[in-house]
Amino acid sequence: MRISVLLAGLSVIATLSGCSSMGVEAWERDVLAKDEMQLTTDALEAATDDHIYFSKEASSGGRGFGGGGCGCN
Amino acid sequence: MSNKNKLNITSALAAATCTLLGSGAAEPVQAQEELGWGFNTALLYYGEDDNRVQDLSLSVLGQRTYLDDKFLSLGLTLDTLTGASPNGALPQSVAQTFTQPSGGKTYTTPAGEFPYDDTFRDTRVAISGNWQQPLGRMSLFNVGASASKEYDYLHLGLNAKFSHDFNQRNTTVSAGLAISQDELDPVGGTPTGLTEMISASDDDGEDGEGGRRKGPAESKDIIDVVFGITQVISRNFLVQVNYSYSDSSGYLSDPYKVLTAVDGVTGDVVPVPQLPGIDGPSHLYYYEHRPDSRAKHSIYTQGKYYMDGKVLDLSYRYMTDDWEINSHTIDARLRWPTGDNRYLEPHLRFYSQTAADFYTLSLVDGDALPEYASADYRLGDFDAITAGLKYGWKTGGGNDMSVRLELYRQSGNISSTDLIGNQVGRDNYPDLNAIIFQVGYKFGK
Repeated sequence: MRISVLLAGLSVIATLSGCSSMGVEAWERDVLAKDEMQLTTDALEAATDDHIYFSKEASSGGRGFGGGGCGCN
Repeated sequence: MSNKNKLNITSALAAATCTLLGSGAAEPVQAQEELGWGFNTALLYYGEDDNRVQDLSLSVLGQRTYLDDKFLSLGLTLDTLTGASPNGALPQSVAQTFTQPSGGKTYTTPAGEFPYDDTFRDTRVAISGNWQQPLGRMSLFNVGASASKEYDYLHLGLNAKFSHDFNQRNTTVSAGLAISQDELDPVGGTPTGLTEMISASDDDGEDGEGGRRKGPAESKDIIDVVFGITQVISRNFLVQVNYSYSDSSGYLSDPYKVLTAVDGVTGDVVPVPQLPGIDGPSHLYYYEHRPDSRAKHSIYTQGKYYMDGKVLDLSYRYMTDDWEINSHTIDARLRWPTGDNRYLEPHLRFYSQTAADFYTLSLVDGDALPEYASADYRLGDFDAITAGLKYGWKTGGGNDMSVRLELYRQSGNISSTDLIGNQVGRDNYPDLNAIIFQVGYKFGK
């Protein structure tokens, strides 16, 4: 477990250090600003799906909080 | 319909939604600062085959943006659930009778069929509120609360998230914390794990009846932490990676699920003596019992890629926990414009999980009982696939409308070495087929 946490930490550091060379200038954000390019395009649909899969599978969360809130059958 | 009429309908819906959300918040407080309310509404039908769970759900999310980037979001969801749910017992070549969770009555499953408890019926109300505001020029702070109530279940939660942009806003790091406290008050009381299913006449829901039922309410606490990084790779490519940890403690069993006790050679159910005047289970069943803590780790990564008007949304999640469940989830969506303000979005999702270490099809009669055991299909080894299609368009009034239809299918994997005697050749995992149909409408702002 500790190894996996360490690996996750290292990969985040590696990603961060590599990030400084990536990206766009402020005037190149036309595409990124579009609604369909947001990470969550439909909050209700995402919440509905999370709730369905939370009820029927043993995994939850990832995109956001794992949550709780139902005694699902 | 004229545009004026459409606008009137939009205003009426906005007003009705504000009333539902319990606020007069549509009234401007600082008119000069507001961009107004936007509403996201959805009507969902979720239906499983074999008369299993059917859910009709209405959701409203009201969002208000302020000029200084402050953001308020209020949500309300109403669910109406009916139908039957597998009770955990195995199909047999004889009819099986079970005591209803609520006690006093029994239900019988015909030979050869999966035992479903068809007595559940529920209404769920969920509310949520979130407030987001900038901290300085490059950071955002978000706090929220959520609550939901079912007949036998109460959830209360709080969450907070901090995010910071740097590298010319090409990189965002975030950290979030959520805590929740859930309370279960099962119909008929909480069964003691791995004790025998009691007869209907014993089952009056009183505390300590026969030593098999105890206090009425149980609780569980959940703490979630999420760390994330979002990186703009290029003008049309964006990637997010999240690590999350979730710790649950308290009562984590399902009070309505049971396990079948079977003969160690034939694999068949074990009859229990039927006493005159006592209505009870026909065979030996045990209430399930799960550990009282669970720790989950997840890595989630999502990419959005724009190519000539089309947007590919691809994500992968790996989850592992101390119940020995590991899962992989791949989700892919492609938004494909089909004209001005219209798009089609095919969706595919693949899911695969291993079984919890205490998951078992049945318990062998006469063997020592394990510390923990569950036959809940959701803790078994299974694969699932979702295939769907969404169609979205802008209405004449400039609002967003969408419909989607998805099919969800779960199929269990049971190793032949786990089968005893006559269980070989029987269908032992309740495969699931469901449809998801959702209509979404966004208006305002």
